[in-house]
Amino acid sequence: MSALLEVEGVSKSFGGNHVLSDVSFSLADGTLALVGPNGAGKTTLLNIVAGQLSPDRGAVRFRGARIDRLPPARIVHRGLVKTYQVVRPLRSFTVAQHIELFSRVRGSVDAERILALTGLGPVRDRRAGELSFGDLKRLELAKALAVNPELLLLDEPIGGLSRDEARRILGSLEELKRDGMRMIVVEHRLLETLSFVDQVVALDQGRTIFSGSPARFFADPAVRAAYLGGGHAPRG
Amino acid sequence: MASDPLPSPSLRRLVRAAGHTLRSRLYLATLAVMAAFALLADLLGSPYFTLSLILASLYIALAVAWDFSSGLTGYINFGLPFFFGLGAFSTGYLVYHGLHSIPALLALDFGVGLVGGGLFALPTLRLRGPFFTFLSLLLPLIGTDIVLAFWTTFGLPTIGYYGLPFLAPTLEDSLLLLSGANALFLTGFYLLRESRFGLVLRGIRDDEEVLESQGISSFPYKVAAFTLSNGVVGFAGGAYALTTTFAGVDAFGFLFLLFPILIAILGGTGEILGAALAGYAVILLSQYLYLTMGSLTLLLFAGAAILLVLFLPRGLLGLLRKEAA
Repeated sequence: MSALLEVEGVSKSFGGNHVLSDVSFSLADGTLALVGPNGAGKTTLLNIVAGQLSPDRGAVRFRGARIDRLPPARIVHRGLVKTYQVVRPLRSFTVAQHIELFSRVRGSVDAERILALTGLGPVRDRRAGELSFGDLKRLELAKALAVNPELLLLDEPIGGLSRDEARRILGSLEELKRDGMRMIVVEHRLLETLSFVDQVVALDQGRTIFSGSPARFFADPAVRAAYLGGGHAPRG
Repeated sequence: MASDPLPSPSLRRLVRAAGHTLRSRLYLATLAVMAAFALLADLLGSPYFTLSLILASLYIALAVAWDFSSGLTGYINFGLPFFFGLGAFSTGYLVYHGLHSIPALLALDFGVGLVGGGLFALPTLRLRGPFFTFLSLLLPLIGTDIVLAFWTTFGLPTIGYYGLPFLAPTLEDSLLLLSGANALFLTGFYLLRESRFGLVLRGIRDDEEVLESQGISSFPYKVAAFTLSNGVVGFAGGAYALTTTFAGVDAFGFLFLLFPILIAILGGTGEILGAALAGYAVILLSQYLYLTMGSLTLLLFAGAAILLVLFLPRGLLGLLRKEAA
């Protein structure tokens, strides 16, 4: 199967700080988790894929075409959309208006289905400024789904949520996966996230230290070194 | 079988949505207030009252136009007097070059505002926040300076064009004409506000970056809003010149910025209809105060503007909506 998304030798520095060094991975189908300790470069990589940052070196391809120099709005039109780690709703908009606003970006979507899937039906007419944190996290997902994406880039979708709230969102993500939605998830809560992804890419200090199945992830010595200490993970 | 006048399903949907929007009680009440004032002027026959209402109508056009672009998007435009002056001076120029048809003059003023607004919007709306506001602030100064520096080059008889034709044969007719035009502008802007176009403009005000990151390029929407809005401002400038029969540098004046913004804030920024209702209150009050307090009136309104921003930032309609919720 040809890759939907290919990240090829991506490097990024801010000043003299190398945030990403020669990172590569690809996603053909299913879900991928991008993990790593704080400062590993996960969010920077996600921002590069979404077009919010440009790589210093390397390329990002979606369906075989380079997208790493396109503005974010055009990348969304290709079918990639990213959610924010820190929720960014349109404060004066109701939940339904969020979906209405973005629903014509890539053709029509079923607003009722999005509301049902995210569990936001009961608060559809509430303004974002009146919603709980859990609802705002679900609104972040609903907003992204409203553009009818082919690939969802989720930046810490369950970060800061209680276990019950996290379970609700993960339930929605599992349902999306069953429907064939491709996703890349950046998340710190490994146990909850790795239970539903097919592939894991782990970064440490901007380098890839692991790429493989979730089953092999915890047994990997480089991963254990990065998470549990005992010196830096081996490079290469 | 009779053919469907609207064969396209999307057009039918659009017309249905417009019909639904225009059944809003607030919209109908606003139109009723405008009609009532026009009728009242006719009944009272007081030239001062009618002139005050004409002035109110001109300020309402400015306030509604400002509210549509700046109120909805949050891009604060201080260039209003420039496009107002542009409309006024276009009228003078065209009359001095042989055009005397009032509808043609007003239509051309609208066009001049549209073109001028578009030319201003295209480069400046790539800037965000204070940079755009700063550039817009320079516009009225540029307008005034150009007229003062080059008035002989433009063939102006004095620092302005005088002896222009009247807008309509009587003051009451002028008021009727302006009220009708305002009803049209108000309806157009209100329909756009309630459409997806308006939703995008409000989204720009809330978080423009989110729009961009979700696939909506905000630039064409902003340019369209500011162009359209300045078309109306140009029209109002032309109508002002035809009401006073003079187009001079006073048309670039500060009052054509202060009052429209004050009216828009009092009505509730981004509400459109609120600006129309607040316009009558502010201008009629100011006209009354001018009679009793003279030049202190402006000081009073400046103070009121500060209090308004501090204690009623969402304006009267915002307050009403809060109460209703």
